[in-house]
Amino acid sequence: MSDRQLADWRNHALALETEVNKVVVGQQKPIRLITTAIFARGHVLLEGDVGVGKTTLLRAFTRGIGGGYQRIEGTIDLMPNDLVYHTYLGEDGKPHVSAGPLLMSGENLSVFFFNEINRARPQVHSLLLRVMAERTLTAFNKEHYFPHMIVFADRNQVEKEETFEIPSAARDRFMMEIPIVVPNDDAIMQSLVFDTKFHNVDALVDMVNKDVLEFNQLNEFSSEVQQSVTASETLQKYALNLWKATKVPTDYGVKVSGVDMNRLVLAGASPRGMSMMLRAARVNAWLNERTAVLPDDIHAVLHETLAHRLVFSPVYEMRRTEIAREMLAGIVNAVAAP
Amino acid sequence: MKLNFIKKLIAMLTLMLATLVLTLPAIALEIPDIPDAKDGVVTFKSIEPDHRVGYTVGDILTRTLFLEVKKPFILIEESLPIVGYEKRYKGQITGIELRSITHEKDEHSAFVIHKIKVSYQIFTNSVVAKPAILPAEFLRLINVNSHGKDVVRYRIPSYEIAISPLSIFGAVKIEADMSDFRGPLLLNAHDETQQLKVALVILGLSLLGLLYIVGTHAWLPRMGGPFARAFKSLRKLPSTQQGLQLAVSQVHKAINTTSGQSVFGDTIDLFLAKKPSFSGLKIELEQFFGLSRQVFFESSAAHSIQGDPLKWLQSFAKRCRDCERGLTPEALNTNKAKA
Repeated sequence: MSDRQLADWRNHALALETEVNKVVVGQQKPIRLITTAIFARGHVLLEGDVGVGKTTLLRAFTRGIGGGYQRIEGTIDLMPNDLVYHTYLGEDGKPHVSAGPLLMSGENLSVFFFNEINRARPQVHSLLLRVMAERTLTAFNKEHYFPHMIVFADRNQVEKEETFEIPSAARDRFMMEIPIVVPNDDAIMQSLVFDTKFHNVDALVDMVNKDVLEFNQLNEFSSEVQQSVTASETLQKYALNLWKATKVPTDYGVKVSGVDMNRLVLAGASPRGMSMMLRAARVNAWLNERTAVLPDDIHAVLHETLAHRLVFSPVYEMRRTEIAREMLAGIVNAVAAP
Repeated sequence: MKLNFIKKLIAMLTLMLATLVLTLPAIALEIPDIPDAKDGVVTFKSIEPDHRVGYTVGDILTRTLFLEVKKPFILIEESLPIVGYEKRYKGQITGIELRSITHEKDEHSAFVIHKIKVSYQIFTNSVVAKPAILPAEFLRLINVNSHGKDVVRYRIPSYEIAISPLSIFGAVKIEADMSDFRGPLLLNAHDETQQLKVALVILGLSLLGLLYIVGTHAWLPRMGGPFARAFKSLRKLPSTQQGLQLAVSQVHKAINTTSGQSVFGDTIDLFLAKKPSFSGLKIELEQFFGLSRQVFFESSAAHSIQGDPLKWLQSFAKRCRDCERGLTPEALNTNKAKA
């Protein structure tokens, strides 16, 4: 792919960001990260409180990239087949079967949003994780493909009642876990409350230009980006050291306040996690008009791609978000490049 | 009365005369009737005891005398001192006796060398140190051509010593004893000498240590910092790609060490907030990270440094070193203007 094509796609990506930033204010960093995940073809776990704009954000992106958007709410009685089909009695009094959220858009499914994923049972997680990994589903004696699908899942870390914690193996399937927090800028907060355009979400999402990107070309272009953006030997060594540091942070003198570092980490980042981190870093480099990955690109995605993969001792799980952030910041500070 | 006085006077004079007459033979014994040998007949040398003081009762002192007697004179060996003869001084026995004597001759055509070894033993003592002498000895020589008429004597000089008591009674004020034997009173400087030697050794080691520190480490505050070391090492690097990589790496290391954490292109502001003394180098820091990007990560990337990057790095490291020392760095070179 030529440099011009790369530049054209970059312009489209930046245009998409601009469109989304118009309707979701004060979330520049999450928007950049979601853009990165879309071009790196990775699934995203959104973490945030209720009503912070996660759904609006995803709908805006879906409108921008085109394709089908499906959403399901995680509940304690949700069963795997609820994702695939649902049955009902028709007007003719006979039972009917219709496609569930996963099958409804067919191969054009581009964004599947699983709201409050931690309220669903592990059986549901299991099905979803298979679809995430293989992008296929066998149903009604037929193999269904979702080649363009990206899963966005949301979980509320604060509320723990009637929830099922997503196991580490499942978390590892997500490329990123992106925190969505309310902007702390007074002007933005005021705007969110008093500006009437934010009161009607449908109208708000309609403000985003449709099909800024072509969802069915993203896979191919993503491969091109991964091939065109290089990683030097020095950077590979740096990434390797970062990986080692997530496994044994004490070897690099990393400390977290109030934590026994010798007992903290049960498992560091996985090979899949590091691979995803580098994919995301390459996209970040491309978005910043670079032809090679810099440590800055890794830093831009490090926390979001690695924090949710770390496995801590159970005693520290309650403080996971805070500890993971401090530990990864410590690792960035401790590991030098070159 | 008058007559009586005259009688007494005559008696007294008679007594004095008689005393004088009686003492004449003794006086005659003391007066030598043999002439001294003329100069040049005898050449005398001696090996004396190694010290003059500190002898006490029982000690033996040996003198070795060398007499070179020129012919036609020869030594009358019977005149050699006799073992056991008590020497007197002013009528008193001196308490120093000749204990042994050996005599060797070495004849030459024109002279004879006599080696006479005499050993004296001290048989006297005192409660205080007192002077004494190994007595002079008189030897007789005869001219063999004179048919026994030309006899001369040669006096072997005495040797002055001091005899010390076996023990001292009461306080001794050494300064009051102005004996010539004692020599000048010297302070005992042994301890001080030892201390001086130890101090000199310590000083020498300290100097060596200081030289080592000067060579490798800081020896004044704010010297030998990370940038000073980097600047020092940069000057030795070759102007090759490998040398450039090493140079950039050294400067990275210095920045990280100064900051206490890894510094990257996107954390320059954090570094400057932490180390405000480097705030004047913000543009150069950005240039440096641009160079590092090109050297280590993206060879196709351009950087804003003009000229030889290694020389620029040396200059940059020097300016950083100045900041590190709390100095105002030298004026920026042209690269800054171009940046």
